[in-house]
Amino acid sequence: MPALTQSSEMPYSPAVHGLAVTLTLAVFPLIWVGGLVTTYDAGMAVPDWPNTYGYNMFAYPASTWLFGPFDLLVEHSHRLLGTVAGLISIGLVVAAWFFDRRLWFKRWAVFVLLAVIAQGALGGFRVLLDQRSFAMIHGCTGPLFFAIATATAVMSSRWWMARAAKDTETKFTSLAAARLAAVLLIASYCQLVIGAQLRHITAAVDHRVFMAFVHTHLTLAGLVVILAICLSMVTGLNRRTPLRVSFPAVLIALLVLVQVSLGIATWIVNYALPWQELSEWLARYTISAKGYWESIIVTAHMATGSLIISLATVTALRASRSRERVVEKEVSRKWKQQLA
Amino acid sequence: MRPSRSFFFPFSLPSLLAIAGCCAATGCDVPIAKFQPNTLYLARIEKSQGADLLLASADTTAALEDFFGTPDKPLWPDFLQTDTDLAKLVHPERLERAAGAVRSDQADQHVGLYREHCVQCHGIAGDGLGPTSRFLNPYPRDFRLGKFKFKTTPIGKKPTRTDLRRVLAEGLKGTSMPSFRILKDDELDALVDYVTYLSVRGQVERQLLTVAAIELDYETGDRIYDTSLRESNPDQFRTQRDRISKVVNEVASQWSQANAAVTKVPEPPADHPLHPNYGSVSATDDDRQSASVLRGRKLFQGPIANCASCHGAMAMGDGQTNNYDAWTKDWTEGIDPQSRDQLRPFLKLGALKPRFILPRNLRTGVYRGGSEPSDLYLRIVNGIDGSPMPATAMQPANPQGLTETDVWDLVNFLLNLPYEAISKDAGISAPKHSASAITSALQTQ
Repeated sequence: MPALTQSSEMPYSPAVHGLAVTLTLAVFPLIWVGGLVTTYDAGMAVPDWPNTYGYNMFAYPASTWLFGPFDLLVEHSHRLLGTVAGLISIGLVVAAWFFDRRLWFKRWAVFVLLAVIAQGALGGFRVLLDQRSFAMIHGCTGPLFFAIATATAVMSSRWWMARAAKDTETKFTSLAAARLAAVLLIASYCQLVIGAQLRHITAAVDHRVFMAFVHTHLTLAGLVVILAICLSMVTGLNRRTPLRVSFPAVLIALLVLVQVSLGIATWIVNYALPWQELSEWLARYTISAKGYWESIIVTAHMATGSLIISLATVTALRASRSRERVVEKEVSRKWKQQLA
Repeated sequence: MRPSRSFFFPFSLPSLLAIAGCCAATGCDVPIAKFQPNTLYLARIEKSQGADLLLASADTTAALEDFFGTPDKPLWPDFLQTDTDLAKLVHPERLERAAGAVRSDQADQHVGLYREHCVQCHGIAGDGLGPTSRFLNPYPRDFRLGKFKFKTTPIGKKPTRTDLRRVLAEGLKGTSMPSFRILKDDELDALVDYVTYLSVRGQVERQLLTVAAIELDYETGDRIYDTSLRESNPDQFRTQRDRISKVVNEVASQWSQANAAVTKVPEPPADHPLHPNYGSVSATDDDRQSASVLRGRKLFQGPIANCASCHGAMAMGDGQTNNYDAWTKDWTEGIDPQSRDQLRPFLKLGALKPRFILPRNLRTGVYRGGSEPSDLYLRIVNGIDGSPMPATAMQPANPQGLTETDVWDLVNFLLNLPYEAISKDAGISAPKHSASAITSALQTQ
């Protein structure tokens, strides 16, 4: 009996799932601090890699790290948090090897480790070659790794295993909702990639190219808003949809609204609005370069984008796992086998 | 059951393609080896002279590189460093600190300050055509004309270091120009040096192109700068260099004379108390202040100051709203800025679509160059360089002009405007709020 009895053969492993969740939780602050590195243009605050000013990065004096220049603090912290993610990924591979019987998941865990190593190497090349384009790619693949870590947490969860015994399930996700979730995931990632271009723009770029990126970013924002609202309605209004799918879908819709507000705020604190005299507040507002609130808003916009991708991954995977069509097929296969 | 490959495939492939596409579009860190030539100015004089100045442009670029270096290795010509006054303009060490790629060290010494803070809007050459420029209103300043709006010197004069530093430190309210108060003094100094350097370099470029187009005959073999002569004809090469050095010296000298051109702001007369926000007001001052506002209002509408013609009778910035600033007029000279066909060749070269410059709505009480009484005094007396805001005619140079007292009356009128109700007869009536009324209103707030 292939799929229907798998759950009893491959029990849920708290160790594997715990490590996967820990990895996901560790990556989010890593993304925040990475965002601060870009906001403060601190990518070259430490000129060597993997060492920090000649020290082994773990042996770098805490006094200079914590109480030295702010750029050094965020860049070195980003590196240290990166190594934490790497160590957790190693633990995940070991745990998956011993506690998870699914061969494909073991391979997946190795892929996760390779992905985090590649991400670290990209960051290293950005420093060694002093190339902003590497910073941009590193900024795009960071949220991709966040999505991978999230997927690992979902695929190692008790719910994921339990969904294998589908004859006991009464709630399913419609095919339309599953497809919508996948499209939302793709659209929000493309949106983030375009956002990364705006964040890492180099002086050599023509203003017409920047305009094209801005227009694409705005168009994709509209698309993501529509998709998020549609998904939350399609899953929320259908009582057969599992709560595990509809809840993150609603969360995404709320987060997208927060994200749109942050996007507008990001533009104001970076460039001001082109029609300042609309209100006295805008006319009086003076942007503070690298100011506290300015930096928080800009970085929060980036981090919320990553969080949306993470939640979209959760929703898309769960929707895919609980798809009606798949379940119907497997139930009919079970009946056929019983008849035979 | 593992998730189907089809789930990950559409996610990963477009992602990689998107990243690769974006990388290609942004040029993947094209090295910033050179300053972009001033193609707009070149196109304008080619059009006016009816000549092909491609070789002249190449010569000018070569000369500028020899005299001023590159974005990564900028130079301040030696002969400027030997002159006591000119050497103060730009210090080579500060120039080096502001130039090049962004990096910092354990002592929090930042290098590449211009690229860290300015380049995205003002562009590598200081042409105001950085990647973000298209979206900003007003457009970022093009330093190459040597014109700066908010300064203590009259129209046509260069700003002082203090003027540039103030704009950097305080930013410009309601615009995209941020305040860099987070920067240390030496960092601000380095940026002031670099802006001065870009401006001098840009002005020299324009003048060399003008000389090449008007004074030299390229068709008969004249050249503004021919590096091949360095070996073959050193005397002629020296002559060319001397001519360029003279231009550089003239431009730099304009900058070194800025301090001497500063307009001094006199103290307001004793019987001219300023607005309550700027000093205590006694009962006597109250009446004097109201009288001063009334006189200022008449001057605002009158033929000498004639402020209402642009700022509007209600001072809401709704007078003349179809004028352009000097930076737009510079390249639209001889063409209709509203004609798409005439603009097209310039837009292809990277020009930003002309926008009207709008007079300030004086009722908001927000002034980009500063809202202090002394700032307003300077704006009235000096005008705003590069904008249609003229310097007012002043006595005794112009017997018909305003007196210093008149200017303080205008300042009082402006300071009072945000507290006035907008009414149709605002232009001719007495102040709606006396100074004491404003004081009590402020206290209740």
